[in-house]
Amino acid sequence: MPLNISASPHIRSKINISWVMRQVVIALIPVIIASIILFKERAIFLILNCVTTCCLTEKLIAKIRKKPSPLKDWSAVVTGLLLAFSLPPTIRWYAASIGSVFAIAVGKQVFGGLGYNIFNPALIGRAFLVAAYPKMLTSWVEPFSLQAVTSATPLALRKFSHIITPLSSLFWGNIGGCLGETSAFCLILGGIYLLVRRIADWRVPLSIIATVGVISSTFFFINPLNGSFLFHLFSGGMLLGALFMATDPVTTPVTKKGRFVFGIGCGILIMTIRYWSGLPEGVMYSILFMNALTPLINKYTRPKRFQ
Amino acid sequence: MIKVEENKLPQHNLRTEKFLQPKRLHLPLSQHIGKPSSPKVKIGEKVEEAQVLAEPEGKVSSYLHSPARARVLSIDNFNHPLLKRAEAVILECEEGKREYSLRKNVDNLSKEELVEIVKKKGIVGMGGAAFPTYIKLSPPRTIETLIINGCECEPYLSSDYRLMVENTEEIFRGVEIIFKILQPKEVFFCVEENKPEAIKKINLFLSLKKFRIGNSKLVVLKSQYPQGGEKQLIYRLKNKKVGWGKLPYDFGCVVHNVATCFAIYEGVYLDKPLIERVVTFAGRSLAQPKNIWVKIGTRLRELFERKILEFKEEPQKIILGGPMMGIAVDSLDYPILKGTSGVLFLSKEEVDVEDEKNCIRCARCVDACPVNLLPLEFVKRVKKQEFNRLKEIYIQDCIECGNCAFSCPAKIPIVHYIKVGKSYAT
Repeated sequence: MPLNISASPHIRSKINISWVMRQVVIALIPVIIASIILFKERAIFLILNCVTTCCLTEKLIAKIRKKPSPLKDWSAVVTGLLLAFSLPPTIRWYAASIGSVFAIAVGKQVFGGLGYNIFNPALIGRAFLVAAYPKMLTSWVEPFSLQAVTSATPLALRKFSHIITPLSSLFWGNIGGCLGETSAFCLILGGIYLLVRRIADWRVPLSIIATVGVISSTFFFINPLNGSFLFHLFSGGMLLGALFMATDPVTTPVTKKGRFVFGIGCGILIMTIRYWSGLPEGVMYSILFMNALTPLINKYTRPKRFQ
Repeated sequence: MIKVEENKLPQHNLRTEKFLQPKRLHLPLSQHIGKPSSPKVKIGEKVEEAQVLAEPEGKVSSYLHSPARARVLSIDNFNHPLLKRAEAVILECEEGKREYSLRKNVDNLSKEELVEIVKKKGIVGMGGAAFPTYIKLSPPRTIETLIINGCECEPYLSSDYRLMVENTEEIFRGVEIIFKILQPKEVFFCVEENKPEAIKKINLFLSLKKFRIGNSKLVVLKSQYPQGGEKQLIYRLKNKKVGWGKLPYDFGCVVHNVATCFAIYEGVYLDKPLIERVVTFAGRSLAQPKNIWVKIGTRLRELFERKILEFKEEPQKIILGGPMMGIAVDSLDYPILKGTSGVLFLSKEEVDVEDEKNCIRCARCVDACPVNLLPLEFVKRVKKQEFNRLKEIYIQDCIECGNCAFSCPAKIPIVHYIKVGKSYAT
């Protein structure tokens, strides 16, 4: 009778990393559907492109590093989806592929793979593409008709043309923008799923949204052309970032207090960039910046000792 | 604290059986926290049931009695779940059963006499830690709060529950004795909400008002783990944190397990030492889970040889204690100790664990930790062998409840790393 004598606890919960990642994929399904309805075959191609390239890159690097295939953990699928959602539907296929390779190779594997990366891999991929193909990353099409328009995201319209897009268009997604960021409704649906299943901690999205709420309401009160709270909430990458990227466990704080600090930091940075920088949008840079601060935040927000 | 699948059925509802005629008994001299007792019998000597086999050694120690009429076969090293090998008195049992008669003058006994009886009867905490009970009954300061612990928050286990249902009166008599000794201002009976029969019984006995236990009440707690931990109970009831290096009496509290109260009753009323206890035998490898009154020192193997227990399938793990904090042993040749509330025979499907993966810093371990630690940091530092940087993040505070490792989606054996870390921490 050979017996296992490993240390306690002798029973474990049923969840594993692969389950956690699959839950994120499930939460993204409404966004996938919305993107296909809004941007038709462009959405399908872009999503397939990013997901496949991410998975292949992950597999290839694991092979080079002589590690077991990490595809079973589904994290490359999540990265591929999030990257696709943060790119314009018109982006050329090779740019999306290069971005995907960069996201996995430099965003994740260079650090040692899942769990060791400092920055959100999908955002690293996007940041690289913004630098490499600035034109492609700021060309937009109208949903449904897929007609090319110039600088037509609601945030750009507000910043450069002082036009405020109606909230209903923002809510349902009938606006120009990145593939997965336009439909606030579908993002909220997926976000609720993540929070209810406790895949994401509510502290981060709540503190981002509350911070954005306080800042934007104040400035809206001063001048309505600054955009209302709901305008800022539903436009750009705010919801995609707050619900799906700032809640990535690997690159955000582990302490409860730290998650509030992270969220508040993101919120302040997002609004600072939106109001006072040359860019119309700032979710990506804000989250990446806060990712870099995460070890420091963890260090200074340790829970109070039990005594 | 976390929700853990309880797995208490069907043993929860099974009446306690008896197995009190073992052939051989193995009684380690160390069944309690403190120094091992020193043996007072010789090899070959005949001993009666309840006769003293070993006496306490030093201040924190305990008496050990013969659970049966027997002959001392040897005093030799034998398997011990915590110490691997430890000195034990090995008895060959003989026919004969001792009757215990009810003591009449219990009311006339003074506090000091009562504490002395508890000491002389070898009673230790029966919830698992096995701290000598007489020490907890002679605290250096006044006790305001007496907590009677019937939480039994570990999954699978049901021995305390059965005792609360089947021997409620005896437990209350035991509480009465503790009350008389400590004179606390308040008494809390703590039971988790998954124990409906016990809740009914305790409520009934409280309403009878025939016991002299002062201002006492039942607190029904949410079923969660580790609700029944001493520190967690005191925090929950009195909002006081018994931190590292502190003891409950520093906060005017004392916690006694219900099985200990029963043992105190038997010691005082029947003059019977702690030589038997209820043990839950469960796990999917068993054909039939059971709660059984067994003699302390009964070997697991004998329970199978005598067909008291039967395997349905080969077990993957045998655990003395609960599945969250119990100790896995390597064979059936281990004895039931005073602190053994359950023995689990877990099947492959119950214990199967995937290989350890990288930590994804999801912080489930942080959220699950009942003493506010960051378990993932211990793992990181132990892996890097930074043993001198463990105490600064309070590794000593860890109560090894197992919540972190239970919750971890990367299946990292966090408690294992913490145990390694604690043994090297400087």
